[in-house]
Amino acid sequence: MFHSFIKAYNDAVFDTDRESALQVIDKARAHGHSPEEIIFQLVIPAVEEMMDTLSEDPDANLAQHFMTAQIAAEVSEKMLAQFSRPPATVGRVVIGTARGDLHSLGKRIVTGCLKTMMVEVLDLGVNVPAEQFVTQAIAFDAQVIAISAMMVHTANGPEGCRKVRQLLRDQQLEHRFRLVVGGAPYRFDEQLFQQVGADAWAADGVSAGKVILNCIRELQP
Amino acid sequence: MMHPMQILQAALNGQPAPRIPIFCNLLDQGARELGMSQAEYYSRGEHVACGQLAMRDRYGYDNLWSLFYVGREAELLGCQEILFADDGTPNVADYFLRTAADIEQFTIPDDITRHPLWQEIAHCLAILRREARGRFPICAYLTASTTLPALLMGMDKWLELALTGPFTLRDQLLAKCSDFFRKQIAAYRAAGADVLLYSTPFGAASFVGMRRFRQFSLPWMQRDLAPGGIDGVVYYCGTAPFNAVIPEVMQQLGITAHYLSPQDDLAVAKSIIGARGLTCGVIDDIQMIAWSPQQTRQEVARLCRIGMVGGHFLLGTGVMPLAVPEANIRAYLEAAFTYGAWS
Repeated sequence: MFHSFIKAYNDAVFDTDRESALQVIDKARAHGHSPEEIIFQLVIPAVEEMMDTLSEDPDANLAQHFMTAQIAAEVSEKMLAQFSRPPATVGRVVIGTARGDLHSLGKRIVTGCLKTMMVEVLDLGVNVPAEQFVTQAIAFDAQVIAISAMMVHTANGPEGCRKVRQLLRDQQLEHRFRLVVGGAPYRFDEQLFQQVGADAWAADGVSAGKVILNCIRELQP
Repeated sequence: MMHPMQILQAALNGQPAPRIPIFCNLLDQGARELGMSQAEYYSRGEHVACGQLAMRDRYGYDNLWSLFYVGREAELLGCQEILFADDGTPNVADYFLRTAADIEQFTIPDDITRHPLWQEIAHCLAILRREARGRFPICAYLTASTTLPALLMGMDKWLELALTGPFTLRDQLLAKCSDFFRKQIAAYRAAGADVLLYSTPFGAASFVGMRRFRQFSLPWMQRDLAPGGIDGVVYYCGTAPFNAVIPEVMQQLGITAHYLSPQDDLAVAKSIIGARGLTCGVIDDIQMIAWSPQQTRQEVARLCRIGMVGGHFLLGTGVMPLAVPEANIRAYLEAAFTYGAWS
């Protein structure tokens, strides 16, 4: 039963058709499925499937990534409010754009996907100093620090990921956190993430959700 | 001996020339050349013109840029703050369209050329024109109506409005941005720009998909370009690959010159455009930060080997990052002049 809902939902998301996607959710609710079932048996498997599809499809486009996150986040927020008890958290992530960078689209896509996957996300906003990534990651007890950078000097410069890595090293915290980066410059030079001291990178917002989930699992006992 | 403008015309028309046109986009490097901060450099048209002339003199490539930074268009429309960085490109720090009411009340100036910031652009163009004396193509950068809202309200807010509506509000904003585009392209032409880079990631299927490209982007692009025509217009999607839309851009808009993404397959673009227009192959200048000069030369050789088949080819860069080493800029240009020769 859920398989047909997942297919219909993802067909609509793939076509960036928000209305049709929400109609699938309404239909599943009308069939008597609980909010918990909708999230865990429909939306999360659908987003996981979409992560694989969009990551592997050379013709996937930014609009599809955005709508995948946007619709999933919208449905999750609505359903979570109706849960009989709060769901277990998969992990915790702090996310922000690097110092000097004001581009928030990638961060928004990643955040939407992660929240749907039951990851707690602390959004630090844009133009975030390196020190703040570290202090907030400690305070939030995060497993992953995610840094978005859309410009070459914010992706590759001394005030972004390089400085966060240095701070983690100086404070002997490298064992505690995984450092993940994303943004256009990393797509043009696939070795860049290593040069700036990141543990992993993602080519797009939806793939970033998957990469971050893997990092969280690595750190879990 | 042919000068760069004649070499560009020869490439466009498939006529004999000693070499391909070679573009190099060293924008922020102009400030470093004049020993100024980015903020100081971009405050005066005279600085930008002097910086661009100095960069062209130093390296010997073909084009001159009148572009300050992309956010300048937002400033002409009301943006009050640009975030300057001395190691990179300035970006918009004031997204002044925050609410539906802001969009409804937003107006396009009747005459953008009276804006003090436009007058600096015009001053820059006047100097470039005087110094170029028709020998060097002068480039201008214009953001399409479908992309300009991203500079006014932020890309994520704009994408949300563009994809999910309300569509009346979206179209109201687009009409205003398209009106601005029409005024701006006319002003650039009047001020003497020769190459008009029409920039729109929303014009790439890799950004919005083919269906939305046809139903959404294409009609607005037709509106943008209708009054002034396509003379001097070069299609560019801001590093988004766009090979898939080239046939329809050529057929529906009539634009024949295409400034590719480094991620486009150059051979495929050449096979689509052929002798009907100009294929502009673009080196991945982000990789040039870490490449050796030898790697840079090898990549130039590869691009020329593919792109020069059948002529109608130009070699260029993206917006060359400040972190690209001097040795690699020189390697790019030396290799371009070597492998780009027709002899």
